[in-house]
Amino acid sequence: MFRYFPEQASAHAADVDWMNNIITDLSLFFTVAIVGAMIYFAIRYRQRNGKDHETPRIEGSHTLEMIWTIVPTIVSIFLAYYGVVIYQQTREVPENALRITAWGQKWFWDFEYEYKDEAGQSQVKKIGGKDVEWVVPVDRPIKLVMQSRDVLHSFFIPAMRAKKDVIPGQWSYIVFTPIKTGKYPVFCTEYCGKEHSNMMASLRVVSEAEFDRWLKDRSAENALAGMSPSARGKQLYTEKGCNACHSLDGSRLIGPSFLKVFGKKESLQDGTTVDVDENYIQESILHPNKQIVEGYAPVMPSYDGQLGPDEIAGLIAFIQAQDGSAPVAAPVAAPVDDGWDKLSPLERGEKLVKAKTVPACTSCHSLDGSALVGPSFKGIFGRTAELQDGTSLVVDEAYLEESILNPMAKIAKNFAPAMPPVYGTQLKEQDVKDIVEYLKTVK
Amino acid sequence: MSAYSAAGEANAKPNYLNHEKGIWSWLTTVDHKRICLLYLFAILIFFFVGGMAALAMRLELAKLYGTGQHNFIDAETYNAMFTIHGAVMIFLFIVPGIPATLGNFLLPLMIGAKDVAFPKLNLFSWYIYMVGACMALFGLLKPIGPAFMEKAMNFIGVHGPVDTGWTFYAPYSIETGTSVVWMTAAAFVLGFSSILTGLNFIVTIHKLRAPGMTWDRLPVFVWGTYATAVIQTLATPVVGITLLLVIMERGFGVGVFNPKLGGDPVLYQHLFWFYSHPVVYIMVLPAFGIVGEIIPVFSRKPIFGYKAVVYASVTIAVVGFLVWAHHMFVAGISEAAAIYFSVVTFGVAVPTAVKVFNWVSTMYRGSIRFNTPMLYAMGFIFLFMVAGTTGVYLAVLAVDVYYHDTYFVVAHFHYTIQGGAVIGLMGGLYYWFPKMSGKMYNETAGKVTWFLVFVGFNLTFIPQFALGMEGMPRRYYDYLPQYQNLHQVSTAGAVINALGYTLALLNLGWAAVFGRVKAPANPWDSLSLEWQTPSPPPHENFEVTPVVTGSTYAYGTPVRGDAAAH
Repeated sequence: MFRYFPEQASAHAADVDWMNNIITDLSLFFTVAIVGAMIYFAIRYRQRNGKDHETPRIEGSHTLEMIWTIVPTIVSIFLAYYGVVIYQQTREVPENALRITAWGQKWFWDFEYEYKDEAGQSQVKKIGGKDVEWVVPVDRPIKLVMQSRDVLHSFFIPAMRAKKDVIPGQWSYIVFTPIKTGKYPVFCTEYCGKEHSNMMASLRVVSEAEFDRWLKDRSAENALAGMSPSARGKQLYTEKGCNACHSLDGSRLIGPSFLKVFGKKESLQDGTTVDVDENYIQESILHPNKQIVEGYAPVMPSYDGQLGPDEIAGLIAFIQAQDGSAPVAAPVAAPVDDGWDKLSPLERGEKLVKAKTVPACTSCHSLDGSALVGPSFKGIFGRTAELQDGTSLVVDEAYLEESILNPMAKIAKNFAPAMPPVYGTQLKEQDVKDIVEYLKTVK
Repeated sequence: MSAYSAAGEANAKPNYLNHEKGIWSWLTTVDHKRICLLYLFAILIFFFVGGMAALAMRLELAKLYGTGQHNFIDAETYNAMFTIHGAVMIFLFIVPGIPATLGNFLLPLMIGAKDVAFPKLNLFSWYIYMVGACMALFGLLKPIGPAFMEKAMNFIGVHGPVDTGWTFYAPYSIETGTSVVWMTAAAFVLGFSSILTGLNFIVTIHKLRAPGMTWDRLPVFVWGTYATAVIQTLATPVVGITLLLVIMERGFGVGVFNPKLGGDPVLYQHLFWFYSHPVVYIMVLPAFGIVGEIIPVFSRKPIFGYKAVVYASVTIAVVGFLVWAHHMFVAGISEAAAIYFSVVTFGVAVPTAVKVFNWVSTMYRGSIRFNTPMLYAMGFIFLFMVAGTTGVYLAVLAVDVYYHDTYFVVAHFHYTIQGGAVIGLMGGLYYWFPKMSGKMYNETAGKVTWFLVFVGFNLTFIPQFALGMEGMPRRYYDYLPQYQNLHQVSTAGAVINALGYTLALLNLGWAAVFGRVKAPANPWDSLSLEWQTPSPPPHENFEVTPVVTGSTYAYGTPVRGDAAAH
């Protein structure tokens, strides 16, 4: 009875569960025995017909007192002893443990893996963000060394039976040896503010070989590094939830719209005015409630410590770009206009390429032959493209489709692998076909 | 053979309720019985406030429109709700809950005194409590209305309901924008009320016992209140100073707890739990006392092992001071400290077990009456068995690491404090209601509402043990879909539980105001002193100072040759 633990995914989980189950069984036994005795006495010695029967004046028994002091004491010593022994086992760090560093901050986890590349150079792989998936190899002890960047957090992997508080200014660790491949949830278990319950990550346990591949695959980071500041800003605008309160089309939400805000003179709540420039935007991101625009409430959470300088620069560039000249991309890109189906594939393709995708294709691919972040679409179909790996191919329908759905597969020479792999979920099969049809016509 | 030479009978003479009239006579009273009622009204209001906050949380967690989005309150409101629930229930309801109400009423009556040692200080404690309560309300307010109102409220430090949890853990409590200062200042002020009440009780028990009321004849409720008073006096100053440091840190940047200023957030936890662990004994020790009064009377038997029961209470109070960091096994304390605190915690488990064995043995060969107070006492034993055994999981180092800050802890805590202290208080209110009001309550309604409370409570918290075992962390506004079913059962239980408490208290309130059945002086045939004076008692408690000649628990026929019989 009462066995609700999740699966045992770490080497020490079985010991912890053994201890837990012993306590459960002892608890059930003593509870049933004592409450059972109480109920038995209550029924057996109940007052009958509203009249008390004679009762003996028993004031106690030294023998019984001794027994029920000594028995719980012995049980206690047994439980405390094994509790300590198993605890010590769960905290022991084996010599071959893989050391990973984790940072907690409101409200996500960052991980740093240090490793040696083929040339023997020390490299670091950094991953992080909301719902990040971190990866470890199976059957190898993992020591996760943790610190917080702001308030208290706590790192809890139920399947590994591992938990430790993550404290600002102080290192703590958990250690466990995963014994099963799979995906396991990670929770924050120390209350840390508004999004505490969403401060999650998942742990993926994979084979040693797969882990090695994962560790050395740096394409995602390169993609981000290769993005233009405004493209990065655009991604952050949705990722960090700016879009919940700041519109791009001038409509009033909880905060001011970003449309044409850059360069504007805003009147503030305290009666002064301010020029919306790079510094004001940075200040508003880091300390949002210092200079509130008149008519708005001071409700924005601070992003201090959550965004790096590059990311803030990206957001500034993105906000600056909202000057009304570019067509506004709707945050959700699904083509839902009335009469969409009545348009020809070409017309649909053109709308998708120019506006209906997020980010819009044309923000990185020109139609006039100039090279932006990605190759221009002008005359792309049928062109011979040289790839980064030295091979070359003729651009056909299959290659275009593949490049939309899986941008990292074949990167054109002299271009960074910067295209976000988001269109696979954004576009329907027909949309991709329409885009290809349209691209064929761009000459 | 009557144990007492003085026994009051019901008569038409003025009693404490009607010997003076008018609101002013209540607000200036120094009668411990009237002060009990002042406290009782106040704490029941806060019981309601805290209960509503709990219901708001439970309704949100039922996720009636699916997980992932809010459907009842948003995340910020939810965080405020569990803070309000915790802070109000602990600082305003259950810490003063039994000592300041039943303790105030019964302590002088049970030891045969006219009043507590310092009656004016007693009233002063109530006023301090009310000031603290008003300050706490400032910590719950949301600045709304026209701009000048908002500015005015911001000016006095009202920035929105506190969202730190009742523990005020640093550094979150240092940096959040909500009204932490009002709430911590309120707890600081409330602490003085608690300390002064404790001091008053200690002196009363030492100095004002009636002739013949020796220490080994003191009712177990008095012993429970005495142990509580010692903890109140010694532990409360520590939390007061700690919360003051939080205020200093927020206001003046003194770096005690904030690592950015060179402080240590773990130090905060040590100081906080140095009070807040013993405080759970402030809550339950008097409840142990109540159960120890009810069971002998309704079993017509002496309390089994009087001395063991008393020593157990005192041991719990003393050892309770030495175990605080068992709240911090994963918080960054050293391995040696963790081992020490785990082992010593069992020093509390053993005497608690001893008490349970003694209560159950008291019923052996009794003549058991199932009045509502006895149902609460028996319910208490079951709930406290669950509370105690689940406490063992949390004392065992290897297992606590898993359960720490999960729903298992939430459920365990509620079994000790609601299943223990609140059920004890309810039993006590039913048991002493005839004495306090001079009326009899409706027994059928009492039993039906007890059943609602008991079933609702278990339905709320048994699923939470399962949730904790499955790994569900506490203080979560949102959760993975796999936890939803158990959360919904728990919410259903909470609604029944709330309904039970409301009706059970209304039953008493109705009887007090509209009841027609007058209570005799001693409806339960108790031997304890408070029942030997009229119901309700006269202003001066006893017409003649009683002289005690025997045990408070001399029920039943003396047995010859019994090992422990005198």
